[in-house]
Amino acid sequence: MALPIRILTAVPICDGHDSAINTINLEFIRHGIEVVYLGFHRYVSDIVRAAIQEDVAAIGISSYNGGHIDFFADVVSQLKKKGANDIAVFGGGGGTITHDDARQMKHKGVDEIFFAGTSLTEMAEYVKKHYGKKKKRRMKSKPDLVLARKLTELEEAAGKKAKHRTPNSEHRTSKVIGFTGPGGAGKTTLIDELVLRFLQRDRKTRIAVLSHDPSVIGEGALLGDRATMINSQDDRVFMRSMATRGQAGGLSPATESCLALLAHSGFDYVIIETVGTGQEALPFRNKLVDQTVLVMNPDYGARLQLQKIVMLDVADIVVVNKTDLERAKAALSEIQQRLTQNKRKQEIVATVAKRHRDPGVDELFELITKENT
Amino acid sequence: MSKLGAVVEAVEKHGSFVLEQVKRARSDEKFAQAVTERWNKVKAEIPIAKAPTGLPLPRLALPEIDEPGEIARYLFGDGLPGEFPYLNGAYREMYLEPLREIETGSYGNRKSPNGDSHNGAGRVSRAKIPERPARPPLQEEPTRLFSGLMLAEDTNKRFHFLSAHQRSKRLSTAFDGPTLYGIDSDADGVFGKIGEGGVAVDTVEDVVRLYDGFELGAPNFSASMTISGPAPIIMAMYIAAAKRRFGAKVVPNLRGTIQADIFKEVQAQNETIFPTEASLRFLCDMIEWTTANMPRWYPVSISGYHIGEAGSTPVQQAAYTLSNGFAYAEMLSARGVPIDQFAPRLSFFLDCGLDVEYIALARVSRKIWAIGMRDVFGANARGQMFKLHTQTSGRSLIAAEFKNNLTRTAAELMLAYMNATNSCHSNSADEPFTTPSEEWIRLAAHGQAILLEESGIFKHTMNMLSGSPGMKAVERAVEKAILDEFREIESLGGVLAAVENRYQRSQIQNAAHRYEQQIYDGTRPIVGLNRYRNGADEMPEIELVRTPRAKQNLQVERLKKFKKKNAEKSKGALDKLGAVVERGKNCFPALLEAVEVCSLGQITGRLQEIVGRFRPMV
Ligand code: B12
Repeated sequence: MALPIRILTAVPICDGHDSAINTINLEFIRHGIEVVYLGFHRYVSDIVRAAIQEDVAAIGISSYNGGHIDFFADVVSQLKKKGANDIAVFGGGGGTITHDDARQMKHKGVDEIFFAGTSLTEMAEYVKKHYGKKKKRRMKSKPDLVLARKLTELEEAAGKKAKHRTPNSEHRTSKVIGFTGPGGAGKTTLIDELVLRFLQRDRKTRIAVLSHDPSVIGEGALLGDRATMINSQDDRVFMRSMATRGQAGGLSPATESCLALLAHSGFDYVIIETVGTGQEALPFRNKLVDQTVLVMNPDYGARLQLQKIVMLDVADIVVVNKTDLERAKAALSEIQQRLTQNKRKQEIVATVAKRHRDPGVDELFELITKENT
Repeated sequence: MSKLGAVVEAVEKHGSFVLEQVKRARSDEKFAQAVTERWNKVKAEIPIAKAPTGLPLPRLALPEIDEPGEIARYLFGDGLPGEFPYLNGAYREMYLEPLREIETGSYGNRKSPNGDSHNGAGRVSRAKIPERPARPPLQEEPTRLFSGLMLAEDTNKRFHFLSAHQRSKRLSTAFDGPTLYGIDSDADGVFGKIGEGGVAVDTVEDVVRLYDGFELGAPNFSASMTISGPAPIIMAMYIAAAKRRFGAKVVPNLRGTIQADIFKEVQAQNETIFPTEASLRFLCDMIEWTTANMPRWYPVSISGYHIGEAGSTPVQQAAYTLSNGFAYAEMLSARGVPIDQFAPRLSFFLDCGLDVEYIALARVSRKIWAIGMRDVFGANARGQMFKLHTQTSGRSLIAAEFKNNLTRTAAELMLAYMNATNSCHSNSADEPFTTPSEEWIRLAAHGQAILLEESGIFKHTMNMLSGSPGMKAVERAVEKAILDEFREIESLGGVLAAVENRYQRSQIQNAAHRYEQQIYDGTRPIVGLNRYRNGADEMPEIELVRTPRAKQNLQVERLKKFKKKNAEKSKGALDKLGAVVERGKNCFPALLEAVEVCSLGQITGRLQEIVGRFRPMV
């Protein structure tokens, strides 16, 4: 089975017209394409960084608020500057991009502009026809480029079920922290808030984030975590979005090898986020990570449900997020009781990750960084 | 739990109340008599005007019923225009040309349609006014065209061009991308966006230039500003600019609207710049201050337009807009702002497209709002009235054979006026391509004039097309569907909880996807695109409004000069603002001071340091 085509889509800075791209994303996915969506109101530099780290074949930009000739050209030229001239650029903007504009844009290195009235299928077919094969890249010595491409190779190898030599977890140079928990608990927000603290505490810290979204073999996926991670759009953060490509349990077939590589690549911390998991899930086996964090939502239902959550037995830290919700108090004491049964040292932290400077997140940050020193 | 559930109950209760009145009118003779008497009196008081052809017509058309039960159904269930539950109109009179010839007495007391001609009980005045009014009533033209381009002086010129022939100057301001996102024009990476799609505003000095030559405190002037994320900052700049030109005494006289609606930003327009809760707090600060100090200002325009344009169904649009409105009412009440201080200052903004729901969408919205505000929030009559601005649908206008857009807009205008909108923007036919050029915006304005002034459709009889059996059928179906949506939102824990769970966003996105699919599979016929296509695919020659680099440079230079001039003072002002925000106090007075010496971006930056940045939802 051929690996899915991967592209990145985004809307330019000062532009919130996302209706077209949302529809187009859905359509691409239906056609088996993996779409890393970066969201609206995005700087050129954020788009280029993301495209390189995600190792996509092409960037699709949807622009409505004018200034598109400059914006698209800027994306092309920054890609070139970073040695990623193999990444193609295409896009649309309804009637705001005229035929004359499109000619200029193509002249400046844009592949194709889709005008108002183009059918959705036509665009998906175009992507399949032109971006199916990854172009060869002259690697030079740009570390992000090299790392990104190696991760792709690991994913390909996992797809072919080929054995790939993975570096030994014993000799990791980074601390690896695994985040898991049910969907809607706020894992992504929590991780992004931690990233902010990592970046602020030490000007040299470098972080890698490996995040997962569900997908079925042979079908596309929408990888949207990046869009909400505002603090992770930084040159000191290397983020990679992975589709599970049919594997159950919250991770992808290539997670283990990708993680091993990242943990040897000079990052201080590697953070891994599973997809939203069910009660029986135990995603981090075989010492995959150094520390596990289970993120929960106070609305887990009846107390009885807690008995069924296996991760509560093994997590090092249990975070109860969204503690601004009414049920939080009860939830905290129920979970605390459940943990005491385990008779081992487990921490419990209450957070409201969506709040700026949340003291609970500060506390979690201390817990995570403490053990490392 | 939120009060939305209570609204659903109130609307249902009102439905049974109406049925009871119908029954009573059919069984209780005394009541029947009273109802019939009232009906006959109302009818007798309706003035008759003559069309230019000499045809006599009533200024208000009532259904031809004489059975007491049916009369009760109309009076209690729909209400006369300007009467609870306002299905037929928020005001007693609208669109009518000044009376030419009067055959009978007068209907109601006549004042400006946007004025306060209402007594609390919302009843038709019983006093007969036999003599003709000395002067025709001062009516405002409902036309209000959204415009903004390049720099403040360019938009100012457009404002003068558009309002030159209007008795009342009703301006509507569009801002450029950097302004909408609270970013300064000299920030990295935004240069090409300066003045595109709207006017560039960085400082109070830009706002002074923007409205130059207009009497901001005059009773026939009103300004509308389409901005939400940084709305409190821009509002403060507007007040500061008005003070610079007319002195502090002008403030209570300022009339206009600022969009400011945060919920629909998170749901559809994507211009939120602070975390949702912080944004809502700043919004409420502003509402609290302006409703106390600027009694003629509308500090929030609760908008469905952007929801509709993002691709929602009409029912979703109405349901989310109304529920957002109720959520604001709940928040402001919880803060302790008296209901009668803020409720009359809430206004609404809906989309009007070609889907059949638009035949009655605004009518039903008015009714649900009135019932909710009266029965759940205890608002007075003015607080029950749903004051509506409508814009024809931009998304229905397409690039292929774009001149057809004139017809689409005309049809939508007709629907908007059938729904008794209080003001209206008609899109230009060049909408798919560019900020409208003068040629097309002029035709867009004329479209409204042709419908209201030239044609006899609305000017002789204000509700000429209301109440057909078809319209009634749509009303019933739409009302039921809106209440179902309310129940869904309530089951998710109310508006804020639903917003945070992406409920409205995902519903809108699914509807948008279906809409586009329907275009390309042909189930949604679009002339010139999937039907009757002429094959010529090249785009037409259209005059594009784009901001020259020289102007963009000028804006940056002006801003730099301002910053340099105020370098010292701005620090103090920002610190003071920051301290107020940290302490959780109403920050609007500090904003009023800050805008004198700080730019938009400086203020946004400081606020974001304290409350954080918005985390986008996709
Ligand atoms: C919908 C809409 C909105 C909605 C957006 C909702 C949302 N969340 O997306 C709302 C009402 C919120 C809105 C607001 C504004 N809008 Co607006 N909006 C439109 C409108 C009506 C339709 C655009 C659209 O989504 N069409 C549907 C899509 C699916 O079809 P399409 O555009 O034809 O695109 C096709 C192809 O081009 C292609 N395509 C598009 N993108 C991409 C990308 C890729 C990768 C690919 C492969 C293909 C592709 O796919 C489509 C299918 O064939 C246009 C006018 C128009 N009729 O086109 C104005 C328009 C784009 N808006 C405009 C403006 C100015 C604004 C505002 C700045 C106004 C203001 N000052 O407040 C704000 C800014 C909003 C923001 N946050 O940035 C201007 C831009 C003018 C310019 N560039 O010179 C326009 C042209 C209207 C006008 N004439 O003034 N808007």
